Amino acid sequence: MKHHRIRVSEFGWGEGAFSSSLKRRLLHPKCFAIRLLPQREGWSAARLGGLMQRFLSGLRDGVGFDILLISIAMLFLIAMAGLPLVYNVLMSFQQVDMFTLGSFIRPFAGIQNYIDVVRQPEFWLVTRNTAVFVFFSMAGQFVLGFALALFFAQKFPGAATIRGLFLVSWVMPGLVVGAIWSWILAGDFGVLNAILKSLGIIQSNIFWKSDPSVSIWAVIIANIWLGLAFNMLLLSVGLAGISRDLYEAAELDGANAFQRFWTITLPMMRSTIGAVLSLGLIGTLQQFDLFPAITEGGPANTSTVAQYWSWQMSFQLYDFAKGATISVMMLVLVLFASIIYVRSTRHEVRG
Amino acid sequence: MTAQIELKNIEKHYGSFHALKNVSLTIDKGSFVALVGPSGCGKSTLLRSIAGLETISSGELSIAGKTMTGVPPRHRDIAMVFQSYALYPHMTVEENLTYSLRLHGVGKAEAKAKAAEVAQTTGLGQLLPRYPRQLSGGQRQRVAMGRAIIRNPKAFLFDEPLSNLDAALRVQMRKEIRALHDRLGATSVYVTHDQIEAMTMADWVVVMRDGIIEQQGRPLDLYDHPVNRFVAGFIGSPAMNFIEGKIASDGRAVNLVGGERIPLARQAEPNQPVVAGLRPEHMKLATGTPTFHFPVGNVESTGSATYLTSADGHLQLVQSERSTVSVGDRVGVEIDPALIHLFDPQSGKRI
Repeated sequence: MKHHRIRVSEFGWGEGAFSSSLKRRLLHPKCFAIRLLPQREGWSAARLGGLMQRFLSGLRDGVGFDILLISIAMLFLIAMAGLPLVYNVLMSFQQVDMFTLGSFIRPFAGIQNYIDVVRQPEFWLVTRNTAVFVFFSMAGQFVLGFALALFFAQKFPGAATIRGLFLVSWVMPGLVVGAIWSWILAGDFGVLNAILKSLGIIQSNIFWKSDPSVSIWAVIIANIWLGLAFNMLLLSVGLAGISRDLYEAAELDGANAFQRFWTITLPMMRSTIGAVLSLGLIGTLQQFDLFPAITEGGPANTSTVAQYWSWQMSFQLYDFAKGATISVMMLVLVLFASIIYVRSTRHEVRG
Repeated sequence: MTAQIELKNIEKHYGSFHALKNVSLTIDKGSFVALVGPSGCGKSTLLRSIAGLETISSGELSIAGKTMTGVPPRHRDIAMVFQSYALYPHMTVEENLTYSLRLHGVGKAEAKAKAAEVAQTTGLGQLLPRYPRQLSGGQRQRVAMGRAIIRNPKAFLFDEPLSNLDAALRVQMRKEIRALHDRLGATSVYVTHDQIEAMTMADWVVVMRDGIIEQQGRPLDLYDHPVNRFVAGFIGSPAMNFIEGKIASDGRAVNLVGGERIPLARQAEPNQPVVAGLRPEHMKLATGTPTFHFPVGNVESTGSATYLTSADGHLQLVQSERSTVSVGDRVGVEIDPALIHLFDPQSGKRI
């Protein structure tokens, strides 16, 4: 009760401004909502000042402050992500050319853009490349990342430090990574060919970047290296969350190392694995920097993937409608992955 | 009685820390042995060494006549109940119970029948389809026990299994564990820091300190004849009182610093300094001539007993009658001379 009385005076209303019965009602906790409503009568200067003060005190110690914090983030998101997204989707249903580029209202095209994109001669090649790129990048990142996470979960001197060093690959900009891998993968002087030859795995140089049959693999190899550390880190966190007692109990119950991994580690990591795979899918579909740095989508589009194609359409061929259409198609895919991600984090099992 | 678990000159080092020092212990088949001692005394390390979760640095450990050096935990055929219970959070109660059976290739129907039987024994009947997170502390405890008994192991190891339960449940589970042990005719090793648990549950109590077995024996033997001051102070609640003094010149009494004397039932070597050990429950408020006096600093009544503590806090007396003594009174105390323990002030050994 005391709390409410203080509030009323803080609002700047004189105690005498209310009839005593009204005051009693307003001071009652259940009538809190009524107090927050503006008075019906005209706006006097005192009342306006009171409103101002109420607003400020709400900011200082009430829900108002939370709303203020959220609204900053929301405004940013709407302006920087929401509107461009809507604009992009809108554009995929419009006829866009160089002359209507600046206007917002353009002739409606229905699904003509989508039909055009699918009819492009390179569409199925790009789709296949994208599928290969996404699947093998994710598989490589996940399997190697999991193996490394398991390795560094063992207790040996320097484990944490060396694991930390692996993060270097994650910190480096994609373009730089691409440039370095471009050198490593170079056909005639690349270090990868030199190593493979000296190990006797290959007899003659593989022209990673210019051979149409392997060019997509050049980018996949670089991408696996780039995403490895992130996968390892998230999976390490998941592994660390499993109590050692469980492994000891399983060991005493008769489980060997493989059975412990299969019956304890994997099911306990379910939500982490779901998150890693979904984020991996998003990250791989976002991967752009490596393409201009290593193959530029070539030769003959054999290493072009959807995200690079979309960029080529929009910013090299200035066919913004098709570029937008391709990116909307990808958006649907990412949305699907996000739903899986959100659902997998909902099924947390930690006892 | 045949030995089920035999430990010979066990040593365990963690780096420079000497956790177990020349520990030898024989655990008979069908016995209930309690390892008890303060934190860091090595009791858990010893238990985990038996389980194979810790490797011993030297010494010989055999279970059911077979040397266990180099045998992994899963081949030792022992079950352990962990302090945290270590239930598999992603499995139902039934799956938790049958985990070891399934690992050993027992058929589904047989495992199910076995689980139902164990659930009956441990009072888990209705809980089989539940997950551990849906159970109370006491129920989880029962699942942990059920998981241990389902495969009829050579020995049960308990690592402070009751310390996460509330006091009332602890007393109840104490009885249940002991009853279960008797019903199964099992061999049990039980680690606890609670000497009351050790005294009430075990046939054989092993008191440890700093990696050494200080004394082992039947519970009441430890209570009646502690070999040193540490065991005397550790076994019994409230703890034994220790009073410094000197044996009189006739060897028939202990002269206290204040000038009073406590008569002895036997002849001791005259004039040597000693520490007299008096159990609080053996001291009585004098009805005749008091042996010695102390000023009362605190009176606590539980209804069934009254605890009187001296003003300096060093002496405590328990009496089962209601007391009219109040703080500040100087009370006279008598004690049966046969119940007085004498210890060497330097070595702490029993005289």
